[in-house]
Amino acid sequence: MLVNKEELYKKLADTVVDMDEEETVDICNKIISENLDAYEAIDNGLSAGMDRAGKLFDEEEYFVPELLLCSDAMYAGLEVLMPHLKAKDEKIKQKVVIGVVEGDTHDIGKNLVKIMLETAGFEIVDLGRDVPPLTFVEKAKEEKAKIIVISTLMTTTMEGMNEVIEILNKENIRENFKVMIGGGPISQGYADKIGADGYSVNAAAAVKLAKKLVLA
Amino acid sequence: MNDLTPKDRIFRTFKKQTIDRPPIICPGGMMNAAIVDVMNKTGHILPEGHYDSRIMAELAKDIHENTGFENFGIPFCMTVEAEVLGSEINYGTLACEPKIKKELYSKASDVIFKELGLMEKNKRVNSIIKATYTLSKKYPDVPVIGSLTGPISTAASLIDPISFLKELRKNPSNAHSVIDYVSNHIIELAKLMIENGANIISIADPTATGEILGPKMFAEYAVRYLNKIINVIHSMNTPVIVHICGKMSAVKKYIPYIKSDAISTDSSISLKMLKAEYPELITMGNVSTYLLEFGDEEKIANQTLRLVSEGINIISPACGLSTSTPLKNIESMTKMVKES
Repeated sequence: MLVNKEELYKKLADTVVDMDEEETVDICNKIISENLDAYEAIDNGLSAGMDRAGKLFDEEEYFVPELLLCSDAMYAGLEVLMPHLKAKDEKIKQKVVIGVVEGDTHDIGKNLVKIMLETAGFEIVDLGRDVPPLTFVEKAKEEKAKIIVISTLMTTTMEGMNEVIEILNKENIRENFKVMIGGGPISQGYADKIGADGYSVNAAAAVKLAKKLVLA
Repeated sequence: MNDLTPKDRIFRTFKKQTIDRPPIICPGGMMNAAIVDVMNKTGHILPEGHYDSRIMAELAKDIHENTGFENFGIPFCMTVEAEVLGSEINYGTLACEPKIKKELYSKASDVIFKELGLMEKNKRVNSIIKATYTLSKKYPDVPVIGSLTGPISTAASLIDPISFLKELRKNPSNAHSVIDYVSNHIIELAKLMIENGANIISIADPTATGEILGPKMFAEYAVRYLNKIINVIHSMNTPVIVHICGKMSAVKKYIPYIKSDAISTDSSISLKMLKAEYPELITMGNVSTYLLEFGDEEKIANQTLRLVSEGINIISPACGLSTSTPLKNIESMTKMVKES
């Protein structure tokens, strides 16, 4: 029997949106056993599903718990499909260093941005939460990253973002990196004030911004 | 009317009785005013003030005297509840607030329900209630506000927050039992505070925002367990302030169901419009903490005056203050209210 692959990808995307991790894995296994292309399945299935979940999040249909469960399903599917990616599908990826500033242990926003950037094809170095400003800079140098993404949910810690930029300026390497910031108390105004390259209001916007910045 | 004490004024506000002008307060906990400027001036500093009852009381008094806020607000963090229930805490530094180093559990089903009575045995809780007692006896005209971390935030400080948020949706019965468990312990802390002289209880639950939970889970978990705690506090004849973080559009319709005596919100919310929509609410807020940290005194005074003239019932910062907020900026807010 011939499988309609477009239909299968659509179904795969649905399982991500429906947070049905088991079904996601089942379909991914089927895709492998039918010898379909893993990259296509990621792109048109898992990633498309995550895009739709992101839209539902923007529209306030889905909230953080739903988005986390969608991403669990996506990751479970990725685990099945990744080993089957063919060499030609290896893309040259841009590296991103991401973390939550020191003093803040809220990492929900950061994790969402990380997932969305990963899905969009960026290679992510996750520094976790409560990260000192200097660590952002050291890691970005070490990993030869293109972008530094800094997040905070708290007004009390946002000054740490400014410190990262000051360190880059002091070391005369500001031009080597694009700095993106985000989180509850952050605004475009604050990004302009500290001289960040960009601010994004949510994870989907962060992906657009990151793509724009690496093309610039 | 001019001889109203700060305590009279805020109690009359809760009761919707006539007052000369709104109270200006900063309730402690997540919204504490232990700024570096004050600590450097007086020498009563953090992190010592988080666990030493004498320094805690002195610092609360320093804040009241220097900033002009018409209350004492303790403790100065939101880690006590999770610490008592077993999570690992880093007390931070003078300028950096305490935080959860590691949540005790990785998922809700792992939680071992510890018996009630833990709060009164804990050393840091004892420092808090001792400081509460000292302040309430020594300064009977100034309200002592006992600050609590809300049930959702406490649960998310006890269990890895990512897995906890997923369980709210995937595994509601486990999530409910954990939040109920946490609420019972928070209630014990509230009781200890009130029995030792706290006049008002303030609850902030920054994980329980509309943006994170969405309307369904906000109603199912946040409103339900906040009210469970509020009901017990009310049974002890003590008013309650609830602070809601973030944008509220998704959950606004549930705000009137929260049984607190006042609702405090973030700076992104128009309290004027919230009041227009729900005239029965006592509103509190919401001078931008960003403006307080980076703005100039005149802008701060103007924003404060606008809130007063819009009839906002209690004036306060909109959220947690940065420890590097300049003292003169806070003074400009408190002075404006007192002159109004």
